[in-house]
Amino acid sequence: MAEAEESPGDPGTASPRPLMRDLKAVGKKFMHVLYPRKSNTLLRDWDLWGPLILCVTLALMLQRDPADSEKDGGPHFAEVFVIVWFGAVTITLNSKLLGGNISFFQSLCVLGYCILPLTVAMLICRLVLLAGPGPVNFMVRLFVVIVMFAWSIVASTAFLADSQPPNRRALAVYPVFLFYFVISWMILTFTPQ
Amino acid sequence: MLQQVRGCRRAGRLAAPGTGSDSNGDTEDVSLFDVEEETTNRPRKSKIRHPVASFFHLFFRVSAVVVYLLCEFLSSSFIACMVTIILLLSCDFWAVKNVTGRLMVGLRWWNHIDEDGKSHWVFESRKESSQEKKTMSEAESRIFWLGLITCPVLWVIFAFSALFSFRIKWLAVVIMGVVLQGANLYGYIRCQVGSRKNLTSMATSYLGKQFLRQNTGGDQTF
Repeated sequence: MAEAEESPGDPGTASPRPLMRDLKAVGKKFMHVLYPRKSNTLLRDWDLWGPLILCVTLALMLQRDPADSEKDGGPHFAEVFVIVWFGAVTITLNSKLLGGNISFFQSLCVLGYCILPLTVAMLICRLVLLAGPGPVNFMVRLFVVIVMFAWSIVASTAFLADSQPPNRRALAVYPVFLFYFVISWMILTFTPQ
Repeated sequence: MLQQVRGCRRAGRLAAPGTGSDSNGDTEDVSLFDVEEETTNRPRKSKIRHPVASFFHLFFRVSAVVVYLLCEFLSSSFIACMVTIILLLSCDFWAVKNVTGRLMVGLRWWNHIDEDGKSHWVFESRKESSQEKKTMSEAESRIFWLGLITCPVLWVIFAFSALFSFRIKWLAVVIMGVVLQGANLYGYIRCQVGSRKNLTSMATSYLGKQFLRQNTGGDQTF
């Protein structure tokens, strides 16, 4: 989870890297995901703190009620973690094998940050579920998840598609589709009991 | 890529090669034979210059290991333990990479993406001039490297023990520990080795100069 873009300056300075700068960089990237524009911020200035925060948040929210059984909570947390990171690594390897000119960590960064809309969807779903089960409930959740899923796909392809030669774009993009589909499925089928 | 030279503390200062961009080669030559300076500086070097950084360098790593070992006794919730360990590992990674490495041993490493989108890994070590000698300390360096090396080894041991005792749900956290702490270890070793490569070639050139000096006698100007 190294961050990019150090101030190259004089190596004689032993000044520690400021924390606020890193936090602001993470916040800026969140904004870029929410309003996807053609910009190089996610790629040039990559970091993996945002994906870590999102992954942990998502994994925590996908827990069953702890009063139900503590033992059950365990595998679900680790499962989400493994699915997200292993999925992201696999997509990155796939894109590199197809000849993409994006670096390993840049790709992980983009895929991780674009989980943000789905995390928001998870939040909304949990709030909606407080209202109680029912078909209307399910339709609302389905709609929210589909919208956020589309948003994630659009955001990530905006950043990733350029790194591939034109005839390989579909090959590079369809694993991203699968990845966010699996996450959306986990969110949609989540029930607290 | 800036690879600066670090003076070798134990064997006295090595003369910088005359061909380098180093302009203060002359002053370095003088301090070479100043062994008394070395001994008077030794008590200062065993002082810890950055106590807070040293404390936090060890605190996050050790507490992550402790929480992992005592998780059954500390809390009945697997999730709380896992999140705590993840938090501690992340804080430790950030602190060691960005703060304690620079303060305690003057090394830093990062990734740089250039205009063409290619990524370069940069490993730098701070050049130690005679003025800055006071900012490096033997004790801090020992604490730094001790903490840096023992913890990844521990996490690797935990990984094997989790694998073979089939506590698979802990494997995710343990692998994360191995990766994060291993990354810092690798980065700093490369910083250290990178600067030492220059040191080896300088040592060879210094020995060559000494040999010539002894054989020809008198003053040699390079």
